This record gives sequence, structure tokens and C-alpha cells, in this order.
Amino acid sequence: MNGVAHPDELLPWYANRTLAHAEREAVEAHLRSCARCRGELALLAELRTKVKQSMDTGAPDDLGLQRLLREARRTQRGPARPARRIALAAAAGVVIVVQAALIGWLATREPAIEPLGESGPAGVVLQVRFDPAATEARVRALLQEHDAVVIDGPSALGIYRVRLPGLQVGDRMAAQKALAEFRAARGVVAQAELQ
Amino acid sequence: MTAQAAADETMLIAGIARGREQDLAEFYRRYHGRVYAFLLRRLGDAADAAETANEVMLEVWRGAARFEGRSRPLTWVLGIAQHKALDRMRRRRPDAVNDVQDAEALPDPGAGALELLAQGQEAERVRRCLERLSDAHRAVVHLAFYEDLGYAEIAAILQCPEGTVKTRMFHAKQGLKRCLGWASVEEGAP
Repeated sequence: MNGVAHPDELLPWYANRTLAHAEREAVEAHLRSCARCRGELALLAELRTKVKQSMDTGAPDDLGLQRLLREARRTQRGPARPARRIALAAAAGVVIVVQAALIGWLATREPAIEPLGESGPAGVVLQVRFDPAATEARVRALLQEHDAVVIDGPSALGIYRVRLPGLQVGDRMAAQKALAEFRAARGVVAQAELQ
Repeated sequence: MTAQAAADETMLIAGIARGREQDLAEFYRRYHGRVYAFLLRRLGDAADAAETANEVMLEVWRGAARFEGRSRPLTWVLGIAQHKALDRMRRRRPDAVNDVQDAEALPDPGAGALELLAQGQEAERVRRCLERLSDAHRAVVHLAFYEDLGYAEIAAILQCPEGTVKTRMFHAKQGLKRCLGWASVEEGAP
């Protein structure tokens, strides 16, 4: 590449560190022997820094959010919306109580919890947000009914990852059936999705 | 983004599709600033950008069920913002969206660019030089250097070929260098 053509098309994306491995290696090989492109890269890096500094959007605008929510309530949407009239403030308080109970319960089952990202045993994984009003006993009963194991959570959004070791990953029908059963657990599961 | 963070984001949009207002609020907190920044860079007017950002968030509320998880949520929402920005530009000035200004035609920055840099006013100078670029060039620079997105992701947002993204970046960079009075090196079109 050196002496024939400079990788000008790729340098901006080398500067922002998004190039795929092969392209990154090709650019690095060229840079080792091309002072002109090293200078160009330094300029692009400086430009990138300045572009970031040139825009300050400030903190999220709470008034804008309130307006959005007002308009959202008046907006027609495609899928049917489930009934949900729980006051947000009250719900937030209940979530804390339920999650504290779950965390305490999970602590007693430590061997079943696996660190995030670790490759664990096979099985379908669901992402589940439990109903704020659900008791620990009802959650435990649901998990035991499906021989399910909580492997992660709660996330910042209160989501747990639940593995069903008895289901094969490729068995879409069984996975959908289990998903439907979790969703049907009224008062226990607020939301469930296949991972 | 970690696997858990990616799963969280997908779950968030699934929640919006089911009508959960608290998930829309969380989405707003995570993405509104970046959507607003993109729109402000495109439209150059704070009121227009704020109004359009609100339209984008309403579109997220209406269209969350259509999100298929093939792209990152950021790519998806900036793609919506791209459409809304073009709509607003068309309403303002019908020919605005075709205004891909040649970098050679940029106004002369005038003397003193280097002095401004030395005085610590680089960011303001860069902002002013970005405003002189065509909308198409400015969008690519913003997505590449403010959002740190790859060229394929930028092409998906702007709905153009990857080669076009690279070419626009090349010309935008030339224009910015001239505007900023930065040292020139021998150049050739890619």
C-alpha cells in the first residue's frame, strides 16, 4: 500500500477505532512506513476531539420528557396496550421491595447463579421482569414449575435472565411455549422475552 | 456493549412496544441527548432540533414493535432521526436535501484560524467550520467523530452506500482542514 496509495478512506475510521480487524491491520502496516499518513491520522484524531467538544447538549430535559409522555398517551399505536394503571411512584416502591426479596432469596442459592457472559450449560434463556406485586414465594413456584434457574440480574431495568436447562436452544416451539407460559403467569411476570 | 447491556436495550424496546411508559422514559433518558445532538448538527437550530427530537421519540413509541434487533438501538433511532431531519429540511427549503456542497466552494475562513486554535477556541472554530459544510458532509463527520460509528453503521443510518460515506468524509475533511487553516499535506481523491 505504501508508495502506491494512501488509505485515506479508512483513516477516519481507524481514528475512531471502528475498523474491522483486517482493515485495521492493513492500515497499521501502512502507518509504520508512511509519515504522511501518520500526520494525517494525528490531524483526524485532533479533529475528532474537537468535534466532541463542539457540542454540549446538557442534561436530559425533564420538561421534554413530560411533554413526550403526555403526547404518547394520546397517540394511537399498533399493538394493543395492556392495562396498566399502577401509579409509577407506588410501583417503584414495590419494585424495590420485590427485588430485595429476590436478591435475598438468590443469595441463598448462590451455586445456581452464573457470572454474566460466562458460557454456561445449554438451555433456552428468557429475560424476565417480575411483577412488582409478585411475592418471592410465587416467583419461586413459577421457576420450580419450569425447572428454571436465575442466572443473572437484576439489571438496571430490573430484568433477570432465567435459564430453562431442560429445553434445547434450537427447539423454537418449546421455547415459545415456555415463553407463553411465563407471560401467562399473571401477577408474577410483568414482561418476558426470549433472549 | 456487553451482552447484558445489549439484552437490556432490546428488552427496553420490547417494553415500549408493549406500551410501558416507564420504558419510553428510560429510552428518552438514554438517547434523547444523542438524537438532539444529531438533529442540532443537521438543522442548526435549537428549537427545530428539540421539536424534531420529540417527533423521533414519538415515532419510537409508535413503532417500537417494528424494531427487529438487527441493528443497535442507537442506529435504529438515529435512522428515524435522519428521516425526520430530511422531512423538516424539505419543509423549510425543498432543495435543501440535495445541497451537497463541494468542499472547494467553502468560503475562505479568513485570517486568524491558527490564532484562534492557539487561544483555546478550537472547539468553537470547529463548530463554525462544520456549519459551513453541506448537510450530507456534516452528518458523516458527526456520526464518525461525535458518535464514533463505523462506516457501515453510518451508511445504514443515512441509507446510502458505504463508498458514499467514505467519499463524503474525505471531502468533509478537506473542507474542514481548509476552513481551520490546518497544515496541508499532498492530497488525492480516494
